Amino acid sequence: MWELLARSLEASTVFLFAALGELVSQRAGTLNVGLEGLMLFGGTVAFIAARLTASYPAGLAAALAVGAVLGASHGFFSITLRGDQVVSGMGLWILSFGLTTYLGSPYTGPLGLPRMATLFGLSPFVYAGVALVVVSAVVLFRTGAGLAIRSVGENPLAAEASGIPVAATRYLCVIWGGLLAALAGAVYTLSYNPVWTYNFLMGWGFVSLALVFFSMWNPWILLAGASLFGLMWQLSLSPELVLPGVLSRYVWRTVPFAVTIPILVVISTPWFRSRWGLARPEALGRPYPAD
Amino acid sequence: MVGRYQITLQARQARSASSAALAALLAIVLALALASVLFVSSGSGVLAGYRVVFSYAFFNPHGAVATLHRAVYLLLCTYAFLLPLRAGLWNIGLPGQVYAGALAAFGVPAVLGMSREAAPGWPPGAVIGLMILAAAAAGAAVGSVAGVLRARLQVNEILVTMMLNSILFWLVSFMIKEGGPLMGATAEGESFTLPLLLRAPLAGGIPVTAALAAAGAVLIDPLLARTALGYRIRAFGENPQAARYGGISPLALSLLVFAAGGATAGLAGYHTFAAIPGVYKIPGNYGFYGDLSFYGLITALIARGSALAAVPIAVLLSGLSLGARFAQGMLRLPFGVDYALLGLLMMTFVASHILDRFRVVWRRTPAGVLQPAPGDSRG
Repeated sequence: MWELLARSLEASTVFLFAALGELVSQRAGTLNVGLEGLMLFGGTVAFIAARLTASYPAGLAAALAVGAVLGASHGFFSITLRGDQVVSGMGLWILSFGLTTYLGSPYTGPLGLPRMATLFGLSPFVYAGVALVVVSAVVLFRTGAGLAIRSVGENPLAAEASGIPVAATRYLCVIWGGLLAALAGAVYTLSYNPVWTYNFLMGWGFVSLALVFFSMWNPWILLAGASLFGLMWQLSLSPELVLPGVLSRYVWRTVPFAVTIPILVVISTPWFRSRWGLARPEALGRPYPAD
Repeated sequence: MVGRYQITLQARQARSASSAALAALLAIVLALALASVLFVSSGSGVLAGYRVVFSYAFFNPHGAVATLHRAVYLLLCTYAFLLPLRAGLWNIGLPGQVYAGALAAFGVPAVLGMSREAAPGWPPGAVIGLMILAAAAAGAAVGSVAGVLRARLQVNEILVTMMLNSILFWLVSFMIKEGGPLMGATAEGESFTLPLLLRAPLAGGIPVTAALAAAGAVLIDPLLARTALGYRIRAFGENPQAARYGGISPLALSLLVFAAGGATAGLAGYHTFAAIPGVYKIPGNYGFYGDLSFYGLITALIARGSALAAVPIAVLLSGLSLGARFAQGMLRLPFGVDYALLGLLMMTFVASHILDRFRVVWRRTPAGVLQPAPGDSRG
């Protein structure tokens, strides 16, 4: 049971890193629906770099570098060129899906390095993830920088009038989102499941994106949501631990996705929106200045 | 600044059809230019690489027929993405709807007890008709989920369709593997093979589904441009608020485009698994065909939402993706050249989208404005 819990927490960390970066990016008004692509790219590059150099830090550094570049390119399209953020995000996703399949295929198979050291039986990324939640919550809700990020995402015109550089703030946040998404991919391929296969994520990025919406853009709720989905994901992989012999393993694999849809429906109802829906950044997905 | 020239990006006020066509062409040519790096990195020449791709895809008798079959598949997927896109909605649930269509199509003979041979009492033509209808209906049903949720509750259709893709992906595994209801007799992780009499009729080696793709190419553009329904779809896509004031029901419209899109994706599922000679089953690597459906998404985007313009693009991309897979084997390239091309096409589409929205302006700066640089005797 401890094994299941430890694996669940590590799975949660993958969701958490990706969603936390996207949460900050969305708080500043930029939506990146291509989160899965950034994770795929980060994970693939980290895997290749770690395997070639036999070094985990090199893998992580490579992932962060590619995450920053992809985040900045999404920023260039959506902030500087004021393009449609969905087009850019979809572009990043399909670009990453296609290229990582090609780039990673010669490395298909296990990483071949000794497993990363654990701390009290858990991956160090689990602790880093929780620490990042604390830092994100403090920065977003208790500091001037957080106020600037939130105001840029709520009302960029007013933010600019009060002297906040809208474009620079959005760039920083979208690059931060790219960094954390790539890191999430790296945690997957270096620690959670260090075996490269084509399209290894199969929906983790989209579930992470949904988690941002579930979280009401609050890092603490996000931590709870990511933990729940981590556990659910792990159970869907090994249902025999809880319900041996009930339903096909393939049916269990649909559970995290099948649960996501009703949750999306509930948080979209007028009843829910009128009570808790106000946290949605008002200017999310809208270019600034508007056309 | 470059020398005495200042380069700026200016938003275009109006975009002509010729500039859209040019941007589409540029996207494809640029993607091919970038893909040539793959050939160079493998040690084979660029021209030699493309010669292999094009000669297999368009001039080899076996390859050309395969290109045609794939083009029908891509076109049906293109319409599935294009119809919601014209209403401003993103249907990225193509793989899920394709899988749903395939499951429903194979479900018909399974339910009728005809998975080994056509049973007496059921005319094969009627069963084939039922299979086609079931595929369209299943695709439409899956698509409608996203359509209804989007219209009623503003639930993000990208997330819903992606979740449905994953759900349907695993459901196919459940149905065709490890004792699933559609599993083949040899239990090799694939569905049963359709009996001879239940295979889609062919005309000159081309299945009947090609007629559906051709009908879409001819009918969809006039439907969108010249009918009241088409006007409503476009109005909704361009300004949903204004469309609502104009009496257009978001629920009906969103449901309609997603159901119609889902139906064509379902037909694509029927086509690729139940109508192409040599297939006639849902293979274990069915996920590849789901991935391939994203070529339909790119085709619709590059064709700027025109079904007719999508035809040459779909044929070209079908040939390229098939030829790339062939070249991969011939030139010993790593797996996934066709996937890399998909990614590069998406990237160059986004780049061409920018160029189409903006134009690059080169402006010569008057000589007097420039400050003479130190040591510059011309100043």
